Amino acid sequence: MFRIEIDRSLCSGFGSCVDSAPEHFRLGDDGIAVALLAESSAPGAVEAARACPMGAIAVLDEQGREAA
Amino acid sequence: MSPRKVLIVGAGLAGSRCAEVLRAEGFAGEVVLAGDEAHPPYERPALSKELLAGRRDDVALRPEGFWREREIELRLSTRIHRIDVRRRLARTSSGALSWDALVLATGARPRRLPALDGRPGVHALRTLADAFALRSELAPGLRLAVVGAGFVGTEVASTAVDLGVEVSLLEAGALPFAQLLGEEVGRILAERYRSAGVDLRTEARVESLRATRGRPRALRLACGTEVACDAALVAVGAQPATELVGGKALETDACGRTARPGVYACGDAAAAWRPSAASYTRIEHWTSAAAQGTAVARAILGRSAPADDVPYFWSDQFGLRLQHVGHGSGWDRVAVEGAPDSFSARYHAREGTLVGALLANRPNEVASVRRELAGHLLAA
Repeated sequence: MFRIEIDRSLCSGFGSCVDSAPEHFRLGDDGIAVALLAESSAPGAVEAARACPMGAIAVLDEQGREAA
Repeated sequence: MSPRKVLIVGAGLAGSRCAEVLRAEGFAGEVVLAGDEAHPPYERPALSKELLAGRRDDVALRPEGFWREREIELRLSTRIHRIDVRRRLARTSSGALSWDALVLATGARPRRLPALDGRPGVHALRTLADAFALRSELAPGLRLAVVGAGFVGTEVASTAVDLGVEVSLLEAGALPFAQLLGEEVGRILAERYRSAGVDLRTEARVESLRATRGRPRALRLACGTEVACDAALVAVGAQPATELVGGKALETDACGRTARPGVYACGDAAAAWRPSAASYTRIEHWTSAAAQGTAVARAILGRSAPADDVPYFWSDQFGLRLQHVGHGSGWDRVAVEGAPDSFSARYHAREGTLVGALLANRPNEVASVRRELAGHLLAA
């Protein structure tokens, strides 16, 4: 199980997270990403963290280490 | 059959991403990630921004221990002198590295200006070491001449102005970014630079540097004027760092395979085939390097996953976050809308199709423009 965290101050609205894992992320009206789930085991979440150009998404394992 | 040993030459984003994805997607053989710098893989975009500003020192892409935990053998400060493709050997000063699959992710190097090459107080900005060297010069009252008003030059100018540095910005054209972004956007940006206190000189061609006692005093321009400076940054673009293998950008298919079996290339060193553009294109963007590194890892694992994303880059400068989506060429007219602090420019081809867009402080429009462009560019 991964924990998903978004640093909204870093997000720039690129939206690749929504492409990688639409069930986990959406963009708010301000264009900034919102996590729809706090936890997941889907590879799409890791993919989304890797694809984010701003490094705004952290996907952490049970020990709090980056799971990407 | 999948190879047993992958040697990745170049530990920037493309190369390190390739290593990560190999492991994440089940590669069980050896992965060697060799870089000529002393630092583990880092975020290059931060160099002209937060790092130069002194707001951040740690720009590592991954936490300490990340590479070791994944059994990715990081070989830092390793310069490769020769690559023998036939015998599958890379020669370094401390011996030879072998491979079953070779990934060339050697990046790019700043273009140089012969007139300023090797002169005292003249900087380039590509590596972390470059950034620290430049940062050590920036202090209130320093006069910095930035040669080249591209994205590196203008971001450094912005950071330097915030630090109290007096900046001269020298642009060869009549307006900054006119070719890429059009004259109207060029005028908006030029006005912004000037009102921030930058001495922007256009149609400026640097001829020589005048120095005394080992320090720069002024740049001499072809028009005869001098621009006084205590330090200079040459930021006139980059070229693929592929001297080991012929010096040109390495052509690959959309999965990063070169014409040589078992040899792959990704990132700034590569000119990857873009099915949507029907051409080999070298794109120096973060997102393209990440996508290509991933595509190469998958190709090595025997899965074809072509990278054909919509080109994207961003730039933080003078209070603007600029985000550019799509292609910077092939447009015929531009529609600019908004105010200097928040505007959009949409670039259309002759027949009216949207080919690219620039968004300034408008993050809420980026994703929709990107989707619209993906619809046009990647539909075929």
